[in-house]
Amino acid sequence: MIRSVIPLIAVLLFFFEPVFSLFSPIDIGGVNFTLVPRFVIVYLIFIAIYDSRPRAIVYGIVLGLLYDMFHIDIIGLYAFLYPLICFIATVMIRQVHRHITTVMLLALALILLLEVLSYFFASFISLTSIGMEEFLFTRLLPTIIANSIFVGMFGWFFKNLIYKRVLQRQGETL
Amino acid sequence: MPRFFSNKRLILLLVGIIVLVAMISFSLRDRQHASLPEQIVKDVVGFGQSFFSKPAHYITGVIENIDGILNTYDENKTLKSRLSEYASGQAELADVRSENERLREIIGKEDNLRDYEPVHATVISRNPDQWEEKIIVDKGEVHGVGKNMAVITANGLVGKVILVNKFTSTIELLSTENRNFRVASVIPGKKSAFGLIEGYDPARGELIMKRIDSNFDVEVGQKVISSGLGGIFPQGLLIGEVTEISTDDYGLTKLAYIRPAANFAMLDHVIIAKRTSVIVDGTDGDSTAGVEGEEGS
Repeated sequence: MIRSVIPLIAVLLFFFEPVFSLFSPIDIGGVNFTLVPRFVIVYLIFIAIYDSRPRAIVYGIVLGLLYDMFHIDIIGLYAFLYPLICFIATVMIRQVHRHITTVMLLALALILLLEVLSYFFASFISLTSIGMEEFLFTRLLPTIIANSIFVGMFGWFFKNLIYKRVLQRQGETL
Repeated sequence: MPRFFSNKRLILLLVGIIVLVAMISFSLRDRQHASLPEQIVKDVVGFGQSFFSKPAHYITGVIENIDGILNTYDENKTLKSRLSEYASGQAELADVRSENERLREIIGKEDNLRDYEPVHATVISRNPDQWEEKIIVDKGEVHGVGKNMAVITANGLVGKVILVNKFTSTIELLSTENRNFRVASVIPGKKSAFGLIEGYDPARGELIMKRIDSNFDVEVGQKVISSGLGGIFPQGLLIGEVTEISTDDYGLTKLAYIRPAANFAMLDHVIIAKRTSVIVDGTDGDSTAGVEGEEGS
């Protein structure tokens, strides 16, 4: 049962992202704050750290391709960024202790990196003309805050779930 | 520093990056059309997506209803004060409408730029990385949606269709920074001032209407509607209200800032306006791409 739960949650999160983005942008005091839901990548980072890197990268390529085709119409952007972030996650986790708090903080740091990379790409192909300061204040900061709520709520759950699956797989091979 | 890459992996990574860059540049070149695999993915994912979005709309609807009930008393007061005004307006409208119809019959003109067939659609997704202002709705080619059609809500114009699949279509909102997004519009008055909605100022949250002839008087507070002369949009869709007037960069024509009538956040149901009279690919469509060079000279 738990075998199919892991990809199922990835697909669920993929479908929930655009639902949450329907609420954005939020207008507070005349300033529009853009919240970008980055649920899938958080989950992929957890898979990369607690399970295995190749698995996370395969999930990243598949979900990234779907994301590109359905939402962005630029094929290859997120199909590249998702695996890249997973790769960086595994490289970085070797340097620090694999405690749940550090993993959560790492996930947030990588969301920040993903946002900055997508900003550079968007301004490179001139999809956007907003300046660095505006990006930091009206987009990056609210995005990090909103996603930290998500990470705080579900991080523990993801960790336990993925651990269970890993233990189960070890049991199978014995 | 540990060695992250063995030789084999490095080659694999490089090949991967080259393939992706090729794919990105290939798909960037033609974003207005979806290839067959893309269309299939869009329809299938869109079908799944609608299972998640429709309950979400239902829940927000319930919350909005509760919010509405809390404000009922105040709203009722203001509405009562406007009720008499409304009744007389309604009578006048009916009178003018019947007269208009009669006059049309006399001159034998049946085609009307104002007429459109509404296609009701539910928004199933908004582009999650919000660099582009795009939404996806659950109506497509089989429901009669076509490219470049106007998309409205009860409040006014919100955008236009940019990509049509069999069962879903992608809509670009008016609040886009895309410079090729134009709407032929008019400020009705004694002398109607025609212009083009072209561009959006994200800092002000307002649309920019350009190329208004400087001989025409435009005042702050006037309404802006679509003119129907762009070839695809029907006439008379409310766009917004003029908030500021200035001259454009060259000082030859006027430029007006327009506060949009529709709200671009929290869209749930939209109407795609399918014009009944002849559709030509004019300013509202893509055919302006070639014209732009001439105008600059």
